[in-house]
Amino acid sequence: MFFDLNINGSNLEYNLIMAREASKYGWEHINFAYNQNDFSKALDLKDELESSLSDVISFDYTLEIKSSNIDEIRKNVNRFRNKASCISVVGGEIKVNRACLENVKVDVLSRPYFKRFDAGINQVLAREAVRNNVAIELCFKDILKSYLSHRSKILSNFRDIYALYRKFDFPLILSSRAQSIFDIRTTHDFVAFFKQTGLTDAEIEKSFNTSYKILEFNNNRENMLFTGVRRVDDEA
Amino acid sequence: MRLKVLPPTLRKNNRYLTLDIKIVSPIDKDDVVNIIWDACIRFQGECMTSNFNLWVMRFYECGKNDGYYSYKSIVRCQRDYVEEVRAAISLVNKYDGNKLAVTTIGSSGTIKASKRFI
Repeated sequence: MFFDLNINGSNLEYNLIMAREASKYGWEHINFAYNQNDFSKALDLKDELESSLSDVISFDYTLEIKSSNIDEIRKNVNRFRNKASCISVVGGEIKVNRACLENVKVDVLSRPYFKRFDAGINQVLAREAVRNNVAIELCFKDILKSYLSHRSKILSNFRDIYALYRKFDFPLILSSRAQSIFDIRTTHDFVAFFKQTGLTDAEIEKSFNTSYKILEFNNNRENMLFTGVRRVDDEA
Repeated sequence: MRLKVLPPTLRKNNRYLTLDIKIVSPIDKDDVVNIIWDACIRFQGECMTSNFNLWVMRFYECGKNDGYYSYKSIVRCQRDYVEEVRAAISLVNKYDGNKLAVTTIGSSGTIKASKRFI
């Protein structure tokens, strides 16, 4: 199962091109990510995309919230919770990282190391991620588009996150964050790269499973009464 | 005078990677050689790259579509370092100021077998 929960969404034609390219390179499911301003418009494209991509690849939408205002993040999460199959918040600022990891309605904290000199999470935040089941997302594009010392620093941040991941076992997901067809790679290349950074095969497989579980959990979210209790339609 | 060919047990084991190359300007085989060597040296370092035994074996032009040129290439590398080479090559994103994407679409033990990916 190869899931990519973060491919930058754009107009209908380019989404189709990206989806076909991803399918050609072995991806089984992709999520087009839109920010809070474009998400409502993007929902209008969904039917057309579904009819065009029904036999190519499965897809869904991610709401990617980009804001440094915690109240705005909270409002957007509540507003779109039932419309998006995955809600991710772009991290970087410590207060944003913390607010996301403490919010059980957020699925993913994307790039906690963004524009920082450290990994952006510590043992306290890692425990919060486990408690609230918020995944931490590492993006391939951050490495792809950087070079020399900057790339080394991001790789170093990745390794710090791996160390916390091995100790606390919070959900970790890997995504491409591709903006164009030039940013999409084959699944095998994607795995090979993350193996080079220090993850094992089992950990990479687990990260793809985590992506799948997020989507599955959100499909059933309306049946969740509260943590641990779910409404079932089993008459027996 | 040429050196005598090594017996098979002493030869290095190779793998042949089939690359899919997309770039916005036309390139030739020499450019592919530069792209691959630069990518490996930059990501893995000089010492590690010396193990890879890199060689561009074949280069195919696949035409132009959607605003970019498409090429395929077969590159030899040492069997034990396939993952390292794949990771390094996949991290290339620019050549000569032009947008570029290189990804490995297949890996096999002979050139003949790797042609099925083209």
